[in-house]
Amino acid sequence: MTPLFTPRIRNGKDKTMKLITAIFMVALVFAHQDFWWWDQYEPLILGFLPIGLAWHMGISLLTSAVGYLAIRYFWPSTHELHPEKDPGNPEQ
Amino acid sequence: MTLWIIIVYLLLVLAFGIFCSRLVGRTAEAYFLAGRGIGSFMLLMSIFGTTMTAFALIGSTGKTFEVGIGVYALIASWAGIVHVAIFFLVGIKVWSLGKRYGYITQIHYFRDRYQSDMLALILFPVVVAFVLVYILMGVIGAGRFISNITQIVSYPVGMALVCIVVLSYVFLGGMRATVLANTFQTLVFMVMGVIAFFVITDSLGGPQEATRTLLESPEGSKRMLRAGFVGKWELATYGLVTLSVGMFPHLFQHWLTAKDARSFKLTIIAYPILCMIVWAPCVLIGMWAAGILPHDSTGHNAVLAIMVSRFSGEVLSGLIGAGVLAAIMSSMDSQFLCLSSLFTHDIVARYYQHPLTDRQRVALGRGFVVFIVMLSYLIGYFAPASVFDLGIWCFSGFSGLFPVLIAALYWRRSNKYGAIAGVLSVAALWIYFLPEVMDPGREGEFLLFDLQMMPVTLIVAISSIFVIIGSLVTPKPAPELVERFFPNAEPGITKSAISLGQ
Repeated sequence: MTPLFTPRIRNGKDKTMKLITAIFMVALVFAHQDFWWWDQYEPLILGFLPIGLAWHMGISLLTSAVGYLAIRYFWPSTHELHPEKDPGNPEQ
Repeated sequence: MTLWIIIVYLLLVLAFGIFCSRLVGRTAEAYFLAGRGIGSFMLLMSIFGTTMTAFALIGSTGKTFEVGIGVYALIASWAGIVHVAIFFLVGIKVWSLGKRYGYITQIHYFRDRYQSDMLALILFPVVVAFVLVYILMGVIGAGRFISNITQIVSYPVGMALVCIVVLSYVFLGGMRATVLANTFQTLVFMVMGVIAFFVITDSLGGPQEATRTLLESPEGSKRMLRAGFVGKWELATYGLVTLSVGMFPHLFQHWLTAKDARSFKLTIIAYPILCMIVWAPCVLIGMWAAGILPHDSTGHNAVLAIMVSRFSGEVLSGLIGAGVLAAIMSSMDSQFLCLSSLFTHDIVARYYQHPLTDRQRVALGRGFVVFIVMLSYLIGYFAPASVFDLGIWCFSGFSGLFPVLIAALYWRRSNKYGAIAGVLSVAALWIYFLPEVMDPGREGEFLLFDLQMMPVTLIVAISSIFVIIGSLVTPKPAPELVERFFPNAEPGITKSAISLGQ
């Protein structure tokens, strides 16, 4: 069966990027608890968005970027996914 | 005009579903899981459409009108973070195991993972009850919405129209028709939400002018802040409610439909952006409405409809109505199919004396779809108004079951006793807090302690403790069972090669 994914070759750069991605993930959760904008609406971003809302829209965009990094550096290997069917399973 | 647009839209969905039914294969896997052949885009659309209910359009606008912009942080941005993490850590793993061992339902997985019929029989009624309440929210919401927006169609007829449309395409086309209809309907409700935003914003004189009008109103900047409406601990712990998605059995089934693991990549990247596209315009409309509509006489769930009818024409009202129905139906169809799958595979096929053929399973599945739709309709017809409070409480129940799933997927030492203890603890706590949640005299969210924490925090914590302690104080799982779900090393790659970075 053709493997779906090639196990990533581990090198120094990948390890650094893995660490950076992990830090981003943790930072994202902390950034979500933005108590620093709690009782202010200014500055108004683009002249109409309260800063608290604009910040969280930014969090949504950053989550997407972190998702990309997670795919890039934490994607499971072929073996972890083991998609081949189990020949012993009668329900297949 | 609004009524005609709604009718045309329902007929369109019906025709679309019937057309899609011609694409379905004859095997049980084809009917219940679309032959495990769903690609990236449709997986994204069906997952997003399933997780976003009418609350994403109507509820978000109304809730912002009530408590301000904190709603986005509480639900939309938390959902982006938590749901993406769940798709990555749970969804892909579930898909992989489902592909290998041929799982069709969530209960099927748990039974096999722990080799326990007892666990499956305890989990089954809990999951079915939670999903049924979730379905009722959609059925009742759709009936009320059609009745309100058309002013001609009665509530029971509105419910019946939506039930018949969804029933038709789920019955005929199974998962394939559900996914295709979901894709279509998700696009409809996203586009309609964005159109409503631009039309309303234009009528208000542009976004800057709309914000200025709010600031100059007696409401001032109150709805532009979190302070006074959302507690800091409430925000921190609300993320646990969004864990519920991990245990939705209908979403579990959607994960199993993926063609390959790569199909998840688009969902992981695009999901938070789609959340923003749907939620941000609705939150802004709700915020601006706070400076325009009277707070004492405006029902929160009517805010979007009032803003649309006041600032746009009848045609747009009808189109937005179609968008709201699209959001409702795109969740309801997966839930109908999921309950049908659970009954067919985990009860009848499991305990019936003779093995069932694929044709019998599909026929049985279709029969259960009809039964569940009729049951939902009858409960919706006679149901008390409190179904919505109960529905939101069900999400906390699903979240409480999440540790059981995480242990099953990632903890080698976990066993059936820990899993059963976890499920029972959730059921007990859910029932224990139920009177408080349903208390008609309570104002706002039911929160725990002086810290204003969401009660789900306690449920998740206790469920986790029960899973851990229940597993540790009972015998270890059989080594062959552990090896089956946690294979040790990658074939062809030795440990020394891994350590050398090769």
